[in-house]
Amino acid sequence: MTIDLLFQMFLAVIGAIVLYSFIGFIPGTDETSVLMPVTLAVVLSGVQPIVVLTFFISAVITLNLMNAIPTALVGLPGGVLSTPMIEHALYLKERGLATTSIKKMATGSVIGTAVAIPVSILLANVLAPYSESVKNYASLLFVFGAIFLSLIGKNKLLALISITPLALLFQGLRHLYWSIGAVPQDKTVTVSFFLGITIGPLLVSLLSLLNKKEREAFPRQTNKIITIYKSKEESLRHPFQTISKKEAGISAVVSFISNFLFFLSPVGLIILLGETVSNREKDPVKKASIAITSMSALSHATYLSGVIIPLMALGIPLSPVAVGPANALFNAPPVLSLDHNLHHLLSRGEFIFALLFAGILASIITYIIAMKYARQLTVFVLKKIPHEAILGLFIGFILLLAYMDAGLVNIFGVLLVGIVCGTLNRMGVNYGVQFMILYAAPWITTHLIF
Amino acid sequence: MKKERIDLWGDLVDLKDLLLAIALCSITTMSGFFLAPHTDTTKQLFFGLGGAVLGFVISTLLIKPKRTVIEEEKH
Repeated sequence: MTIDLLFQMFLAVIGAIVLYSFIGFIPGTDETSVLMPVTLAVVLSGVQPIVVLTFFISAVITLNLMNAIPTALVGLPGGVLSTPMIEHALYLKERGLATTSIKKMATGSVIGTAVAIPVSILLANVLAPYSESVKNYASLLFVFGAIFLSLIGKNKLLALISITPLALLFQGLRHLYWSIGAVPQDKTVTVSFFLGITIGPLLVSLLSLLNKKEREAFPRQTNKIITIYKSKEESLRHPFQTISKKEAGISAVVSFISNFLFFLSPVGLIILLGETVSNREKDPVKKASIAITSMSALSHATYLSGVIIPLMALGIPLSPVAVGPANALFNAPPVLSLDHNLHHLLSRGEFIFALLFAGILASIITYIIAMKYARQLTVFVLKKIPHEAILGLFIGFILLLAYMDAGLVNIFGVLLVGIVCGTLNRMGVNYGVQFMILYAAPWITTHLIF
Repeated sequence: MKKERIDLWGDLVDLKDLLLAIALCSITTMSGFFLAPHTDTTKQLFFGLGGAVLGFVISTLLIKPKRTVIEEEKH
């Protein structure tokens, strides 16, 4: 470990915090679509694998906490994982407790991180001996993964039905690119299809705006009025002064449990565990406080275990987090592939060092930001950053990566993937299922010939 | 009369502004990409990303956010 590398890791933490503090405050930005493309860019830029891991872990810690802040302050969820908190956060906000909520969330996030990192590392070490036997069945496991994620989703039958057609679409495009010479025979286009899946719902909404009838049917408002209460006390406090012992204990326990369920969907776990523990409390304010604290802890714990366990133990993305937002850590051709990714490139010691380095540093810094500057940052983002610019940035990003992957034809290929996946997403087939299908596609299509 | 805005991806947007932002970001991103040396993929990526960020900054300066933020004293 050289000083230079350590400095790069430090920069990765700071970069992730600065970037995702702003993104986190923007209402409605989906975690997968903001984490995946940027991480991919970091991987493709060719920095050391340990720096990539440091960046990703810091990004997750920052994003999950910052997403919760606008939920507490103005009732707008910053991302998907903070949607389960809305009801409880609004209840506390109406009682003038928004600032207290943020402090509880910040402490919850520290607890979630502090529990998840060591437990995930231990679990990964327990699972690691089985990795060789698991890897032999990797392609089949993706098929089972797609079926499993379909079955735990909301629209089971619909998701199951979509598996094979979607696999045909991905493989079909790959074979087309090979046959017309858009990419060399040894290159499998994956990255831009991931982005196509990610951007799908947005793309479908944008395109349906071109249809006059649909455009008129879109939800409209002349203005969005957001009220923020000013508060006098915005002091930095010791974590344990912000929450009760009971809240701390419950948050730690649910975070611990969620580590063992890393293969389930994070938002599902947050709702399941968070609501279960908060429903046992009778007093409404205490109930809402327990809910937001434990949910904040869970959002960190589920994400961290979902990436750390598959990455350290197996090297193949077998969890909704690994196959979604963390995908670029497993597979980002030409830099990383399923046989040559962070799992293979980093030693156990390097893993642990990077996880602790990013976990501790990012937790401390984001905790301070949340405690002291939550309100100012929310006001700044809401007042200064137009939603249009963010959507524009996304489109620019997709264009670039699609073109770099397989040229002009792939821009239309990604458009096609986006339209199909976005439509399926609207109908109720979630990202996780679609990502798994992309991995399962080669196996599925070659086993369909009878 | 106030113009109606469309609720897209969790927030309000104005269609004309949206088209402007998309056009701006697309142009700056791809210009960045084509300005980079053709043999160096890392540089192409970085120039492209730089272009995307530039487009984002310009759109942020040109377009007014559609939210009205009211700050009230704590009750």
